[in-house]
Amino acid sequence: MAWKRWRIEEVIHYPGSQEVEKYVYTPGIHGLELAKALREGRVLGMKCPDGVYVPPKTYCPDGSPGELVEVRGPWRVVTYTLVHQDIYGNPLPEPEALALIRPDDADYGGLIHRVRAESIYIGMEVKPRWKPPKQRSGQITDIEYFEPA
Amino acid sequence: MAVEKPRRPGWVEPPGHYLKSREMYSLPGLVEYKPRARYLFSAGQAQSRFLRGLREGKILGTRCPRCGRVYVPPRMFCEYCHAPTTEWVELPGTGRVHTAVVSYIGTFRERREEPEIVGVIQLDAPGYVEGGYEFAGLFHRLCGVTPEDVMSGRAIGMRVRPRWRPPEERRGDVNDIECFEPIPEGEG
Amino acid sequence: MRPNIFVKDKVAVVGAGLTLFRRRLLETPRELAWEAARQALDSAGLTFDDIDCVVMGTAPDAFDGVHFNGEYFADVAGRNKPTVRVYVGGGTGVFVPIAAWWHVASGLCKTALAVAEEKMSPAHPHPQGVFAYIWDPILERPLGPNLIWIFAMEMRRYMHKCGATKEIIARVSVKNKRNALDHPAAQAAANITVDDVLRSELLVWPVNRLDISPVSDGAAAVVFASENEARRITDSPVWVEGIGFALDNTHWYNRELAYPRYVNYAARMAYKMAGIERPWREIDVAEPYDPFDYKELHHIEGLMLARPCEAPKLLEEDWFDRSGELPTSPSGGLLGVGNPIAAAGLMKVAEIFWQLRYEAGPRQVKKPVHYGLAQAWGDLMQVGTVIVLGN
Repeated sequence: MAWKRWRIEEVIHYPGSQEVEKYVYTPGIHGLELAKALREGRVLGMKCPDGVYVPPKTYCPDGSPGELVEVRGPWRVVTYTLVHQDIYGNPLPEPEALALIRPDDADYGGLIHRVRAESIYIGMEVKPRWKPPKQRSGQITDIEYFEPA
Repeated sequence: MAVEKPRRPGWVEPPGHYLKSREMYSLPGLVEYKPRARYLFSAGQAQSRFLRGLREGKILGTRCPRCGRVYVPPRMFCEYCHAPTTEWVELPGTGRVHTAVVSYIGTFRERREEPEIVGVIQLDAPGYVEGGYEFAGLFHRLCGVTPEDVMSGRAIGMRVRPRWRPPEERRGDVNDIECFEPIPEGEG
Repeated sequence: MRPNIFVKDKVAVVGAGLTLFRRRLLETPRELAWEAARQALDSAGLTFDDIDCVVMGTAPDAFDGVHFNGEYFADVAGRNKPTVRVYVGGGTGVFVPIAAWWHVASGLCKTALAVAEEKMSPAHPHPQGVFAYIWDPILERPLGPNLIWIFAMEMRRYMHKCGATKEIIARVSVKNKRNALDHPAAQAAANITVDDVLRSELLVWPVNRLDISPVSDGAAAVVFASENEARRITDSPVWVEGIGFALDNTHWYNRELAYPRYVNYAARMAYKMAGIERPWREIDVAEPYDPFDYKELHHIEGLMLARPCEAPKLLEEDWFDRSGELPTSPSGGLLGVGNPIAAAGLMKVAEIFWQLRYEAGPRQVKKPVHYGLAQAWGDLMQVGTVIVLGN
């Protein structure tokens, strides 16, 4: 005889929660240089045998160490999406545009960031809107958003 | 005790940059994130029935109809025969301490004011052959056992029984058993 | 168990590399993995282009705080290669080379890179909070356990069953931390005495602070090659003679804690493949898994390098020292070098590789070596992974 079919109400459920208070992520070797540059209002990329990558991540796809270079733009929207809900599924007052933005002097990658504009299209030229220098912490949020150039 | 840092001439230090806690927190670009995951774990069929049994003050196990092994906590199938373990048995609840330790720390390694004694209890179950590698058992707190009992080894092999919470406080959870306590001489 | 020994290619280890093992490293997980991979390839005189397949290993994602952690750092050996991540908790460190072995032994790849990485420092306030997740959420976690409890319970049972005292067991910690003084990656190397161990902070009796390996960040990598490739790459390949792995169930409190049956099954599988009949005489150097000091003795017995309950006695006779009859953890092990979980197991494989090539420098054991063994253990007291190497 096999087990009888149970109803879900008959199964006891037990609550639990994530027991880690927080995670602390170190920036890494190139990440640290990028963080310092962001505080100065600059963005870094990484020169590899096959082209320039943004952001830098210390090593190239072929395994060789990458060389840090500054990227200046102009920045262009590679692709974008319109976000209507927050992470919990609550509707946002206004849809937000989230885009992959690549500077013209880089070949691969780019930054994923918000774009504030009346309209958005692929290939649109944008520029970063920086926080005031005193408020910058070396994180990607030092750029508040991108806006039409 | 001084920890000596190994440094020898001619050594190639492996790659890596050590940070002191203070150094880490002063790094630009450091990201801190608080996870907010909440879970609801299903106890499943066999364990749900086991937990209901605890609420009634009973320790239930399942028996394999083919080989007769008794499983506590209960499983839905026998690991050896792959047969559904449809037979339920109620255990007396008494048993012997398999191992016991004295904990001076909590889940996050914080110091406890009072040490806590926890251990594995090998339950008296039908069909157990003395010296067998596997047995019906539970992991739980021990009370009425002193740290000295644990350290001297007196606690191991000690006859114990569950101390139940009052019925109105039981919630169908492993804490319905407050702890396992020694059976006084002459009883059990 | 009857392993399939009809392999297509004999497999050799041709290179190994490590990063520093430390409590907190600046590098991101993928940078650590990349550094270790680069060291391993450099030591074999290879480049990333020479690698056909990649096997990654990392213990729970919840330490690094990155989901798909294996995939996260999979690009360290180049893009678009056959890549797989394997995982068996603490046993991962030796399961990674086992998986790399079958990639090459099957003829699927000529060369395979095994990389293991662990960054435990991101989880705050203490990685212990992550360990809370290995307990059963319904029957165990409501009791407020700490990971050390389970080890303490096993250690107490082992002490009871084998009559081993805390003083004897502490000698493992003393030996391994001393061995680690010669290891350039070591985090917890020290010249300590048994008294230092017994007087260190008491956490869960019978476990004191110095009975335990530290929390670490680090990575390790090992390069595997088929016989033809290996002979081209190096004059002194080290051969994988046998592998074994076994998994018991998670109901750790339903079995005798004094003897790790699953480690024994894994070892028997590996010995059979290697043609080893008397491991206690044929294995010349071993790296048993030692996250806690008693664990080394426990595993020595499970691996049949000593009879059950015989290891503490042999330890007292300095049997397991670098100059002893059967040196164990000559690297310094997890207790001395550090315990970035998956990377620590692979570090042990790397150490056996160096020992069998006589390249371990000041760590080289005194006796001549032909066969070496590395073992890891993990999950909820349930998995054994074993690899036997020969020169």
